[in-house]
Amino acid sequence: MDDVTGLLWRILAGPLCAAVVIVLICRRSPFYADFSPVMERSAGAVIAIAFLLGSTWFAWMALDAVKTGNVTTSPTYRFIDVGDLEVNVNWSLDRLSVMMAMIVCVVSLCIFVYSVGYMHGDPGINRFFAKLSFFVFSMLGIVFSGNLVMMFVFWELVGVSSYLLIGYWYQRPAAAEAGKKAFIVNRIGDFGFLLGILLVWNVTGSVDFTDIRNYLKAHPAEVSGGVLTIPALLIFCGAVGKSAQLPLHVWLPDAMEGPTPVSALIHAATMVAAGVYMLCRVSFLVFASPAAMDVIAWIGGLTALLSAVIACQQNDIKRILAYSTLSQLGYMVMAVGLSVPQVNGYMPAMFHLSTHAFFKSLLFLSAGSVIIAFHHAEQDIWKMGGLWKKMPITTACFTVGLLALTGFPGLSGFFSKETILGLARERNEDLFTLATVTAGFTSFYMFRALFVAFLGQPRSEAAGKVKESPWVVLGPLVALAILSVIGGYTWMGIPGWLVGDKGLSEAPAGTNVLLLAMLAFVMGLALAVVFYLCGPAEDPVKTKFPFLHRILWNKFGFDEFYLALVKYVQGGLAALCELVDRWVIAGAGVRGTAGVAQTLGKMLQLFQTGGLQTYAFLFAAGLVIILYYVVTQ
Amino acid sequence: MSLESYSLLNCAILTPLVFAVVVCCLPAASAAAIRWLSILGSLLTGVLSVMIYTRFNPQNAGFQMERDVPWVAPLGLSWHVGVDGISVVMILLTGLVGFAATLVAWDVTKRQKEFYVLLMILISGAIGMFASLDIFFIYFFHELALIPTFLMIGIWGSGQREYAAMKMTLYLSAGALVALFGLIALYVGLPVGERTFDVVKLVAFAKGQPFSASFQHLVYPLLLFGLGALVSLVPLHTWAPIGYGSAPTATAMLHAGVLKKFGLYALLRIVLPALPSGAEDWNWLLLALLLGNIVYGGLVAMRQKNFNFLLGYSSVAHMGFAFLGIATFNDLGITGAVLFMFAHGLSTALAFALSGFFFAQTGTREIPELGGLCKRMPFIGTAIVMAAFASVGLPGFANFPGEVMVLFGAWQVKGWGIKAGAATLSWPVIVAIWGGAVLGAVYMLRAVRDVCFGVLPAKWQKLGDANLPAKFPYLVLLGALIWVGVYPRELTETIKPAAIAVVEAMEKTKAREPLPPKPKPKPTPAKRAAKPGKTPARPVAK
Repeated sequence: MDDVTGLLWRILAGPLCAAVVIVLICRRSPFYADFSPVMERSAGAVIAIAFLLGSTWFAWMALDAVKTGNVTTSPTYRFIDVGDLEVNVNWSLDRLSVMMAMIVCVVSLCIFVYSVGYMHGDPGINRFFAKLSFFVFSMLGIVFSGNLVMMFVFWELVGVSSYLLIGYWYQRPAAAEAGKKAFIVNRIGDFGFLLGILLVWNVTGSVDFTDIRNYLKAHPAEVSGGVLTIPALLIFCGAVGKSAQLPLHVWLPDAMEGPTPVSALIHAATMVAAGVYMLCRVSFLVFASPAAMDVIAWIGGLTALLSAVIACQQNDIKRILAYSTLSQLGYMVMAVGLSVPQVNGYMPAMFHLSTHAFFKSLLFLSAGSVIIAFHHAEQDIWKMGGLWKKMPITTACFTVGLLALTGFPGLSGFFSKETILGLARERNEDLFTLATVTAGFTSFYMFRALFVAFLGQPRSEAAGKVKESPWVVLGPLVALAILSVIGGYTWMGIPGWLVGDKGLSEAPAGTNVLLLAMLAFVMGLALAVVFYLCGPAEDPVKTKFPFLHRILWNKFGFDEFYLALVKYVQGGLAALCELVDRWVIAGAGVRGTAGVAQTLGKMLQLFQTGGLQTYAFLFAAGLVIILYYVVTQ
Repeated sequence: MSLESYSLLNCAILTPLVFAVVVCCLPAASAAAIRWLSILGSLLTGVLSVMIYTRFNPQNAGFQMERDVPWVAPLGLSWHVGVDGISVVMILLTGLVGFAATLVAWDVTKRQKEFYVLLMILISGAIGMFASLDIFFIYFFHELALIPTFLMIGIWGSGQREYAAMKMTLYLSAGALVALFGLIALYVGLPVGERTFDVVKLVAFAKGQPFSASFQHLVYPLLLFGLGALVSLVPLHTWAPIGYGSAPTATAMLHAGVLKKFGLYALLRIVLPALPSGAEDWNWLLLALLLGNIVYGGLVAMRQKNFNFLLGYSSVAHMGFAFLGIATFNDLGITGAVLFMFAHGLSTALAFALSGFFFAQTGTREIPELGGLCKRMPFIGTAIVMAAFASVGLPGFANFPGEVMVLFGAWQVKGWGIKAGAATLSWPVIVAIWGGAVLGAVYMLRAVRDVCFGVLPAKWQKLGDANLPAKFPYLVLLGALIWVGVYPRELTETIKPAAIAVVEAMEKTKAREPLPPKPKPKPTPAKRAAKPGKTPARPVAK
């Protein structure tokens, strides 16, 4: 057995070091005055990419080590050890974690390179790369953490790096607001996650994944009969927050206020998928509770459908993709909920997670390339049009991503989505129908975006003047496009890798599932062709079905509902408490006590006039009263 | 026998006092000399506190570096100093915050001499109250630390400073007085020949002959409310926001960071070991009030427009967590509470120091008037964001392990469970996490958005960032927060034996009359199976 702990903490240390080094040295300084312009403008990117390359290399070595088997890890140090709580900084090293780490590293590398082009000329570019590196560090931490508390630690750290990156342009009020919203909504999910951790610790006596798994195996009687339902659901709350499932999905579309590379890396490919990864990591817990799995599957399925429907009437190119991300995450969560541990485990969910990471970041980066062409000023697809002539490579890459997303045969998304649909067919007919309908909507809204933004004639002056982006932007696009095409094939080995050590099946779905999915795809495409291919100046759905448009445009009113909840319930409670604090506790209670003392003092003060005559008069009056009593007695 | 081994504590108490006398003798005009001497004094105190911490041997339970000189023997008064794992951490906190507070006191421009003299006295009092083991001196040093804060707020404060100073004085004096009645009751409650103010002897005596249940039941509320007022236990908290809103920066740092912990410290040091049955009787009330701190304090914080008022209410809310840890009566919760006290001391001092920095330039702490400070003050803005995240319990800062341990400890308390299906949930923990993690994030991030982010108003275009020396105190506090946040065992290994000692003392000093069943939980069977080689009570070597 080889102990590869050193390899693991080196993978994590790379991006963290990059963040620290950038913060420390990439600035104007008298020590290296001649290099100051270089240090201020481009050093950050070089440092971040170099350290990330190192991490990717180590991750590859870890993958190799896992392939040969016979690896072990040891805790790096003890974090807490008091009473009955013992938390180590320890590691999970298995096929699941190394694959996720490779996805994170490869997608991050593409996006780091892309960012050099996208953020060109931004004054805060070093800050950007420092934050991005810190994000990669936290994300890899989630991937490799070996117990629930460490996972929670990194879980919070990716939350904070997401907050910082959404609010990267902090002077825009919308960006600052969106970052705050994302963090708080995630906190609501983490509230449940932490309770789940406490409950699991209470039941099994440990927070360590291996210990919990062994305990569950050793005490089947004590954990049967729904004991694990509530812990599993509470832990799932964390995934609901981070993977933006119903009803906590509202933060993700707003998170598009961040720079596009951030949207691609964090809010499409990696961080939002962390919820799914976490569910797979604790699958021994989730799979032990059928009731919890049902809830998970339904929440995933409903999220998939609802966000696909909303995406049909969004006009901002990044928001369309954001709702599409929500919808695909819904597929993955549904797949976790439908998993059959004996057949292929969590493979369908993780398979879709990996292909989605490639094609969704490809789509976002292509959208970013368009945004560069519009000088970061326009994201409305109805102001675009006719881009394919001026930007052929971007258009081609976007189309590849689109086809992969909609499950066009032969591309990666096709294989992973078919696996999920096949699973749904076997396990739950209702969810299968729901997922197939969602696939139809997916093809509708994606082709709508393609037809309106890229085909037809330019719809604005700016759209006529666009030009293709430089190669530093296009290179990562092409790399991701290749991955999006080949990612699903068996010889790439993702599904095989995931089921490998368990000897589970990796067979694709049956033919009738395929046919139904293709039917949905074609219907969505046909509808999009009818509505949008002729190049209308305005959305025909909006003019013909204004009511439907209004509902979808308002996203079923979730935001308004939550805003009202925050404003009236939480705000009302806060106002009430403040009133109590100001008038009852500080007012009546404290000032009242002080006031009584003061009033008494003031009354007595009236007698202290300082005038001799008054005192003489009072003295005489008192004497008369006393004499009167004495005499009358 | 060398100097360090037995009089390090005396040195740490006396050093700031000596510097106070020296500064007193300087002419008021020599402002630079006054400032540098004071910084030297607080630096020496800080170094001494670090030395005390490093010389302290966490493997030995009980008090170390003890020095016991009888003073008024007939009354049982003695100059008894000594530290255990809890007080040594609090002294370290005092040393760090005291040094940082002296450094940021550059914003004091009038009557500097008097200010620094008072500051030195304050630091000395704070160290003295954590180092003393005699109730008389604990009380004396607490008053020695409190009186300068009143003067400092009244003379150097801002806003409604006289009202604030008055309110704080009345509140805290009343609290201290009620606590004094309780302490005297403890003294009188001992048999005539055994009467002593010595905490160690008192607790040792109570272990053999516990106070009667009715006595404990009567005296404990006096101490709880008296000491609770010093820690801003709801509803005795309204002095805190207005006091911190008006206090000069250094005073707010030391008061919120260090002095406020005194009530909690005294609960752990004197009250719980002496009156465990009383504490158990009244725990329902403490639980209700501390949850009030967490939730009610958080809700009121949401409505604050003044940054320091917001920080004041947020520290009210956080004190609820420290109380929650103490109310668990188990080693996990108490260790967590002490770690949390340390972390909160650093993070709140950091937040007040930062608000003082921009206040010195803008002259306002009203949140609606600020905005976009990150643009002109990138360092200070970043540090405010970090302080805010420390305060909402983000991992990586010391507050997180403290909160986690408190919550896990509270989850173990058997009496607090409610049934939900097949699972048992602890309702105080649910409320506390909601208040701490969600409400805390709401008001803190709102404030950060409105202060640091957004558009910089035109009138603040000329603000300047901190230069390297000015950054130093912030970096000291941040560094300590992150170090403990990443490696909390540095402190928990020190605190743990003392926390276990408190729990053990509580077991032994329970009133011997029939009482309701004790809420001390038993570890789950799985835990025993998982860790066969572990001794449950005594800590193993580091």
